[in-house]
Amino acid sequence: MKKFDYHIPKSLEEALSLFKSLENAKYIAGGTDVLVNIKRKKESPSHLISLRNIDSLKVVEKKDGLKIGSCLIHQELLKIEEIRTYYSALYDALTKLGSKQIRNVATIGGNICNAAPSADTACPLLVLDAQVVIFGEKGTRMVPIDDFFEGPGTVAKEESEIVTSFELPSFPKYTGSAYIKHTRREAMDLAMVSAASRITFAAEDQSLLRDFLSSKGVEELDKELKNYPLFVKEARIALGVVAPRPFRAKKAESCLEGKFLNEETLREACEKAAEEAQPRDTIRGEAWYRREMVKVLTKRTILLSVKRAIEMCS
Amino acid sequence: MTFNAVGQKIPKKDAPLKVTGQALYIDDLELPGMLYGKILFSKYPHARILNIDTSKAERLPGVKAVVTAKDFPPNFRIGFMKDNPPLKGNKVLSTRDEIAAVCAISPEIAEEACELIDVDYEVLPGVFDPITAMREDAPILHEELGSNVLKLPWKLVCGDVEKGKSESKYIVEDTFTTQWVTHCCMATSGCIAHFDINNNLTLYSNTQIPSLAQNDFLEALNALGLKNRRVRIIQVTIGGAFGSKLDTYPYEYIAILLALKTRKPVKIVFSRDEEFFATSPRQCTITKISQGCTKEGKLTFREVEMILDNGAYTSWGATTPSVMMMPISSLYRVPNVKYEAKCVYTNNTYCQAMRGYGNPQATFAIESSLDHLAEVSGIDPYDLRMINANQPGEITPQGFKITTCGLKECLEEVAKRLNWREKRGKGGGKRGVGMASLIHVGGGARVYKSDGCGTIIKMDDFGKVDVFTGATDIGQGADTVIAQIVAEELGIPVEDVNVIHNDTDVCPWDVGVHASRTTFVAGNSALYAARKIKARLTEIVSKILEIPQEDVEIRNGIAFSKSDPQKSIPVARAIRRAHFTTGGSMLMAEHFYDPNNENLGKDFKGNLSTAYTYGTHGVEVEVDTETGKVKILKYVAAHDIGRAINPLLLEGQIEGGALMGIGFALSERLIYQNGYLKNGNFLDYKILTVRDAVPVETVIIETDEKEGPYGAKGIGEPGLVPSAPAIANAIYDAIGVRIKDLPITPEKILKALKEKAGTGNKA
Ligand SMILES: Cc1cc2nc3c(=O)[nH]c(=O)nc-3n(C[C@H](O)[C@H](O)[C@H](O)COP(=O)(O)OP(=O)(O)OC[C@H]3O[C@@H](n4cnc5c(N)ncnc54)[C@H](O)[C@@H]3O)c2cc1C
Repeated sequence: MKKFDYHIPKSLEEALSLFKSLENAKYIAGGTDVLVNIKRKKESPSHLISLRNIDSLKVVEKKDGLKIGSCLIHQELLKIEEIRTYYSALYDALTKLGSKQIRNVATIGGNICNAAPSADTACPLLVLDAQVVIFGEKGTRMVPIDDFFEGPGTVAKEESEIVTSFELPSFPKYTGSAYIKHTRREAMDLAMVSAASRITFAAEDQSLLRDFLSSKGVEELDKELKNYPLFVKEARIALGVVAPRPFRAKKAESCLEGKFLNEETLREACEKAAEEAQPRDTIRGEAWYRREMVKVLTKRTILLSVKRAIEMCS
Repeated sequence: MTFNAVGQKIPKKDAPLKVTGQALYIDDLELPGMLYGKILFSKYPHARILNIDTSKAERLPGVKAVVTAKDFPPNFRIGFMKDNPPLKGNKVLSTRDEIAAVCAISPEIAEEACELIDVDYEVLPGVFDPITAMREDAPILHEELGSNVLKLPWKLVCGDVEKGKSESKYIVEDTFTTQWVTHCCMATSGCIAHFDINNNLTLYSNTQIPSLAQNDFLEALNALGLKNRRVRIIQVTIGGAFGSKLDTYPYEYIAILLALKTRKPVKIVFSRDEEFFATSPRQCTITKISQGCTKEGKLTFREVEMILDNGAYTSWGATTPSVMMMPISSLYRVPNVKYEAKCVYTNNTYCQAMRGYGNPQATFAIESSLDHLAEVSGIDPYDLRMINANQPGEITPQGFKITTCGLKECLEEVAKRLNWREKRGKGGGKRGVGMASLIHVGGGARVYKSDGCGTIIKMDDFGKVDVFTGATDIGQGADTVIAQIVAEELGIPVEDVNVIHNDTDVCPWDVGVHASRTTFVAGNSALYAARKIKARLTEIVSKILEIPQEDVEIRNGIAFSKSDPQKSIPVARAIRRAHFTTGGSMLMAEHFYDPNNENLGKDFKGNLSTAYTYGTHGVEVEVDTETGKVKILKYVAAHDIGRAINPLLLEGQIEGGALMGIGFALSERLIYQNGYLKNGNFLDYKILTVRDAVPVETVIIETDEKEGPYGAKGIGEPGLVPSAPAIANAIYDAIGVRIKDLPITPEKILKALKEKAGTGNKA
């Protein structure tokens, strides 16, 4: 492995000025992507600037939604009750990311900045309308996560800029979200395909939801959709691995948003999602199969989101 | 019979060292002045080497030697067919071909130096599958041989297959294919070579065959002009082998050459990348099988044709068809058998032994086909197996003398635990059950001139025992099992037995750790050596206690009179009395045990093993018909092992085997495209993780094998042999599609389901 110098700044400003003054520098958080890349000779920075000792990158703020620092490790995020309850898609992703050993060092900021099409926290942050907070020479700015991903490994920020946190809005109570990662193994695997969705129902439907829950139980969901005309106020669907970047399947979303959820709209959304996907044949999976899985996962994440939304209203 | 040490669940002796990180693997070992070697591998799967320029590498500070084919004698070849030069000078035949090697004062410098070596190639067209390689117009890899088909005529004929066909009411024919899978040893391959002042070689190694390796390296020293030298093999803690170290490899000869050139110890240890592409996987196979049965379900014949991708060179692994013959001829009673196999050179990686030695590939075909036959004949697959199950005392068509055989019991246990009658065919299109059985050698396997193992035992003044065995411990537990056997025989605590198994200077000859033979052969060897010591010991005690020798018993380190237990003496004291007296003596004994099995004849018949093991695996699966994913709900593994010397280690072997078998069935495969390995890392090579591990319900059937040590038979390999067909059969029961190509991926299942639905619509 090529040698490098390692720097441990204590503040954002120090980190930034180090980055500016050093040649061929790179930020490092958990290092689970950076070091693998260096070992595989995909990159060879002369200086690594660690972000791990900067306290402001580890904030958790719980008012008007949730703000999470970029340098929080996945295992810490798993402990935040609000993520489990209100941002279930993110919680799903965290439980499936790498393995416990990886989750104990890898950060969410690293996962997003590395911008792999398979990054597990990406689809959840997309459906949760996250804002990326970025610190740079010109101060702090915010970018919607959908505008942040540009392509494999590329994001909408200057190299010197540091992602400081992610802000998640607070959603109405009658909201549910879910993420499913399709893998060959139960751990230490990257997704062949992944999908996240969020469904927010209209406030007026609350009693209907409660009613549904008391009479049927969510297990019957598939079959009962036609009897319960649930109105989808907001729908988000995001797909991973089937495009150069994790993306929102907006045509699929519009099959549901502002419509009643039933078998037909659900199927349309899944078909549209499959159309929007651009899967490739690789050694990790065949294109036709990935496209098929987009349909299956889209359906399953939506149903799971609906189920969770209903449960939230109980 | 009651036992003291035998039958105890004793944790593996070196487990504390391993879990605390104190065990020394080859990678941990450092010798004074040691240099680090690195190999430059070929860029192309098939090419002529026009020129190798090492001058830049030689000039790099810290580099101590650079070697190429020129540094070996011109015709020096290694391997089973002597077709593999350790460094290639004229032609490369695969992307793992070694072209040059360097050694330097650090691994980093060695790596950098390798990158500085310029090689000019003339790229040749390659051939990457055995079918194409057999075509007239295919490029020939080893031009001097004139053909890509190896001159290994694997052919077994028993009875009359045509007659069998004519007697059949039902006949099925299918083709099955299996993939490359690799051993994934936790510790990568490596060695340290070191010459002393007299040019005697010491090789620190993780080989499975210390005695045969010693022989190979002596040949190499001879070829290098070092006549009449000594070779000492010292085995470090071996972090897994599974057959991968059942041969000697170019990297070892290269380390030896570099050590000779530099007069320094030279270490070569593979990176994980190298471990993936430069070690030898299980051979992939194409198997055409047909078998038939009568109306009542009696098997009438079995006919098998097989093609194996040998890769570019030949290791011992090319002899796997000789083991495949075993299940083909002798799993279930089938009177008429015909088997033919061809090993074919291709520009792929060359293959080698891997746990089961061909048996898993053959059993996948046999047991999948048997379920097909059951379906066609309308007989329940369990009943069909029971009707044809092997029995004790039979002689199989290949000439195997079956002594103990618990196959029926294994089948019954599996059926009972799976709730077979209630579950079979009733999984609602999602769930299913399946089973498959195995036969394997359980009393050694005579594949070499000797199937023997030597043991030397000495007892010290404190009553402690040192056992020097030829056996190798690759993690399976030879160290512990041999200690238990010796402790049992001598009547002393297991802790008092120290087993030394890692140094050819002090340990006797052994053919190697393969064929699930170590407990049986090395165990017997140790047992008989212990028996000799015991005879001496009881003689000494009888004199001291003034009682007849037959009256002496030893238990827990105390010798006493059976008829008058008051008369007793600690063993240690008796030994000291014998030692510290004028004309004294010490307790030492040796034994060389070579089982009474036979080499297969020219017709491939003969009693290959002294005993045979049987087993049946049963699986319940659930298939997600939208994604094609398979979930194993229940896994039962019943094995006839003669006697469980150590049930804990035994279960470990079965569970580990089953998990390896599940990986073989569902997820593992090396992806080669045009000679290049595409998934040589643990992310893309889908070995199962602990999260994927399914609980394996092991059932131990003890049949008390007369020839075995305390009744034991071998168990190292059987655990993975029937996994794939058992799973495939369960999937068929669940969703009605049969996947004949391993691994059974979700893609294959979904595709088959769609095809099935498609034809359903047309009908
Ligand atoms: C064995 C293994 C298994 C894995 N499994 C998974 C998996 O299942 N799912 C998955 O999604 N990923 C997986 N990964 C990839 C990796 O662990 C994740 O992407 C992880 O979240 C990266 O975080 P990190 O802190 O280690 O990032 P680093 O490697 O430290 O950094 C990654 C990139 O982000 C940049 N960066 C980091 N933090 C910031 C910041 N605050 N501001 C600006 N730039 C920043 C770095 O410069 C670098 O380019 C796995 C990795 C390994 C080694």
